[in-house]
Amino acid sequence: MPAADQRTQRVRWTPFLFLLPFLFLLLLFWLIPLVGGVKMSLQANGLGQAEYVGLAHYKALASDERFVTALRNSFIYTLASIVVIVPLALWLAHLLRATFRRLRPALTFALLLPALTPPSVLAVLFLMVFHGRNGLLNQLFVMPLGLEPVDWLKDPDFILTGLVLQTAWRWTGFMTFFILAGMEGIPRVYYEAARLATASRWRQFWHVTVPQLRPVLLFVAVYLVVDGFSLFSGAFVLLGGSGGTADAGLLTITYVFQKTRFFDYGTASAISVSLLPLMLLLLWGCLSLRRRTA
Amino acid sequence: MSDCVKNWRGVLSLLLLGPFLLAVLVPFLWMVLGMFKTNAEFFQPMAKAFFPANYDWQNVVDLLGGEWVPFWAVFGNSLIVSLGQALGAVALSAMAGYAFARFSFRGRRLLFVLAVALILVPRQLFAVPLFSWVNALGLSDSLLGVMLPGVVTGLGVIYFTQVFRQVPGEYFQAARICGASEPRVFLAVLPLIWPALLSYGMIHFILAWHEHLIPMLVLTSESKQTLPLTLAKLYDVSQRTPQGVQMAASTFAVIPTAVLFALCHRKFKSSLSDLLVH
Repeated sequence: MPAADQRTQRVRWTPFLFLLPFLFLLLLFWLIPLVGGVKMSLQANGLGQAEYVGLAHYKALASDERFVTALRNSFIYTLASIVVIVPLALWLAHLLRATFRRLRPALTFALLLPALTPPSVLAVLFLMVFHGRNGLLNQLFVMPLGLEPVDWLKDPDFILTGLVLQTAWRWTGFMTFFILAGMEGIPRVYYEAARLATASRWRQFWHVTVPQLRPVLLFVAVYLVVDGFSLFSGAFVLLGGSGGTADAGLLTITYVFQKTRFFDYGTASAISVSLLPLMLLLLWGCLSLRRRTA
Repeated sequence: MSDCVKNWRGVLSLLLLGPFLLAVLVPFLWMVLGMFKTNAEFFQPMAKAFFPANYDWQNVVDLLGGEWVPFWAVFGNSLIVSLGQALGAVALSAMAGYAFARFSFRGRRLLFVLAVALILVPRQLFAVPLFSWVNALGLSDSLLGVMLPGVVTGLGVIYFTQVFRQVPGEYFQAARICGASEPRVFLAVLPLIWPALLSYGMIHFILAWHEHLIPMLVLTSESKQTLPLTLAKLYDVSQRTPQGVQMAASTFAVIPTAVLFALCHRKFKSSLSDLLVH
């Protein structure tokens, strides 16, 4: 990391001139709502309520079984989507590099199409994939394998799997693109050196590609965690804002949405705020990883 | 590697990619073909009626003619909001990134951590207080009320910080020797990083184009709606919109982002390759 210019000590206010617009809007549309959210979490539920109730919402959440379910589901969902998407995207990127050069842009674009599609359109496409007996997934994969068709959106044993499949369908191509871009930036010399040391392809992958891709993989993981915990569209689209049968697909963000719908703003904010420590932990992890790579 | 082995590997990897390509493309194909179908055709099992009996453009004409929703007005709103957000985000983040990359100042570390935190604590979690705050500012039911909150982005700031760190110092020195003021130095460097500007603008445009929750809370009148909101309305069962019209609207909603990406694809990838590994 290059040291910042020494010369600029001369004018101390110049950097702030450049930062001012960003900081101003950051304060206005991020910091103030955040503080507003914390405040709301300490107030009674209901529209236009301002009665201070202290930590009551948090205490209620601690013994709320649905909240615990939502947290557990979100953890499983996020972890599973990383475990599915990252290796798959690495593999696809590898295949794209091995295939004909001239086809590569078109193929990458095709794989990435779901990430370019608005979530509300994805809703319709997913319904077709997951829908009852006639859904694509059952018709093309489950039934030809001689298995009973799965009711992906109703069977509590499969809802979470359905959600993970949906995220994988949406994001794998996008992540493949990032990994591919990263792979193309790795200097060839490293591979030549590895070949001189007669490292097998597998070892080249583990000892050259993966370490070089660390910043990309970090980005991918962070993106998926943030998406898993807070982005609304995925689960909302598939289950219409419900938690599914027996709450098997209830995620934290869905729970926030449900509380908001009934004007339980206090509880909704308390859920959001209680996710903050988790995000801070993630922040700390990112920064320390960044330092190690730098 | 001999040519023969290379070709063989190319074909093999193409075969292995095949199922994934199918899994992605079949639903999209079904969507596009769906615009020509009657409701009866649409609800038949896939294998029976994947292709429509005849290619009737009536659904598309109805949609574009404003039969069901004021389509062009909504499409225009979406374009304004997304373009405005993309331009604003690029300007704001490039300036902030320049400050982080090129100056050392008091509180730099803290502010940078704040920018990272911005990525990790997304606005969606605090949508309700954001909404009431936007109302208090008098921005409710205005496109500006959606755009302004949307231009603050941690991802952009971090991206441009990285981009400016990689511009060789000589460029800055050259500009300064010519006696340029700091804002002029900044402007002089911009042409050097235009692929990065374009790439981030594209990414932000796509994110803004997809945004659902904040517009849903802020925009109330029908003429102000953006595309995701209108799509949700078209999909609503109680509206009785023909499936073909829904599919036509879905197709039109994908086209702008797909075209944009197809155009910027190459620049975006090379700009990322430079960035990710250095």
